[in-house]
Amino acid sequence: MAERLQSSFRDPCGFLYTRGGTLYRQVNRAYQAQYDHLMTSGLYAAAVKAGWLIPHEETDAQPGLPDLAYKVIQPERVAFISYPYEWSFSQLKDAALVTLALLRRALEFNMVIKDASAYNIQFHRGRVTLIDTLSFDFYEEGSPWVAYRQFCQHFLAPLALMAHTDVRLSQLLRIYIDGVPLDLASKLLPAKTRWNLGLSTHLHLHARMQQKNAGKALDSTKTRGRINRIGFLGLIDSLESTVKGLNWKPAGTEWADYYQITNYSDAAFDAKKALVADYLKEAKPETVWDLGSNNGEFSRIASEQGIETISADIDPAAVEQNYRIMCSRREKHLLPLVIDLTNPSPDLGWGNQERDSLTRRGPAGLVMALALIHHLAISNNVPLLEVARYFAALSEWLIIEFVPKSDSQVQILLSSREDIFPDYQRDRFEEIFKQVYQIVRADPIEGSQRTLYLMRRR
Amino acid sequence: MHFELLPVVVKPMAYLDPGSGSILIQMLVAAALGGAYLIKVYWKKIKRLFTGKTDEPLEQPDQTDEAAEKK
Repeated sequence: MAERLQSSFRDPCGFLYTRGGTLYRQVNRAYQAQYDHLMTSGLYAAAVKAGWLIPHEETDAQPGLPDLAYKVIQPERVAFISYPYEWSFSQLKDAALVTLALLRRALEFNMVIKDASAYNIQFHRGRVTLIDTLSFDFYEEGSPWVAYRQFCQHFLAPLALMAHTDVRLSQLLRIYIDGVPLDLASKLLPAKTRWNLGLSTHLHLHARMQQKNAGKALDSTKTRGRINRIGFLGLIDSLESTVKGLNWKPAGTEWADYYQITNYSDAAFDAKKALVADYLKEAKPETVWDLGSNNGEFSRIASEQGIETISADIDPAAVEQNYRIMCSRREKHLLPLVIDLTNPSPDLGWGNQERDSLTRRGPAGLVMALALIHHLAISNNVPLLEVARYFAALSEWLIIEFVPKSDSQVQILLSSREDIFPDYQRDRFEEIFKQVYQIVRADPIEGSQRTLYLMRRR
Repeated sequence: MHFELLPVVVKPMAYLDPGSGSILIQMLVAAALGGAYLIKVYWKKIKRLFTGKTDEPLEQPDQTDEAAEKK
């Protein structure tokens, strides 16, 4: 049975489906000429070589819809599908720049990319990669870029808002599935951005033109042949320099310098690392989700062994740092993401099925929750049993660190409020977690009051 | 810059609505942006003439790395 993926229904040129657990993309006959040109012109080879396009193989597999099919291709599988509202600033910026680079390269082969959806971009083996092979279309001299609006909504508007207003506005992408409406972005951006030529053109003026022409029919004879190739290249170049000009530096947020202010001695830090490595050897997971990973120090114990690792944190600054480290070391098995565990990414889009919730993208082989329990149980008042159940829904294995009330980090959390957490003690924690898990290992972390556990779901 | 001008045999099959306003603004600014782009390309060529550097490819985007950090 072919099961069609709910994330690819818009484009009549083809679609994704799985059969027997393998992911395929059907190329429809409507896309035959484009597909053949992509493959034979050298564009596919060039884009794949640059790491910008997902490689695929043509297969004899049965098409999902044989009546429409031209070919079936099997793309390389991305380890974890992530979404733009889970990316840090530089992740979104790199995705924007690769989209434009692909467009420029495509033009050399007389093609364009016909959509500029941030959801078509994924992190594959540490590289920003377009996963939609059907995004390429013929370039028609004189025509505008059909995906210009989408590029501005998916990339330029959120990046400008993150850089000039507040980095947390990336979360608007979670509300607006087709990108941030330009009139909203224009309203939220500070007035000084009107002096930036790129932003004033592609966002502010663009938003006004949209509003002025909303609901008006366009005379297509008047728009044809008006933008020559140089104009098209100028547009790409202008978008590129506008994106490059947007910057955000992580500083002054809660976690950016967390490791400097914890009460870990170097010895305790190393002891904890050794224990985590030991536990991973025992559980042998294929994938790890490190939840509350800060800048990924502990995630790397897993990813450096070749385990596909999600390194998630609520703080955009920590994730930004994490991503920059990932890029500078050219790491292939780590993916830093911004995730608020108290409100993780839900199912979104058409029929609530287009974008999967965090849970639906699981299960993970193992969940790591280091120095996290006090934030969930005390700051967010989640009962310990609920914490255990949620982790158990995400994965069979759990590495969890218990941080006692005597720990200075917990003291800070309790300093401004009533202690209404009688269960928050090590014995009670163990008793409660044992309802869901079996405790495989428990070791005190030398040089601290904390305990590390390896648990397996019952 | 090299263009392989191949005959376009099939019409593009766009499925997105580009939006009227978004088409009009492109028509409005394309000439100016194209002009600016040409000046940039030729300025680079002139600079190369004087610095004697060989024809380097136009900027390639790469992911944020240490180089970007140093900026």
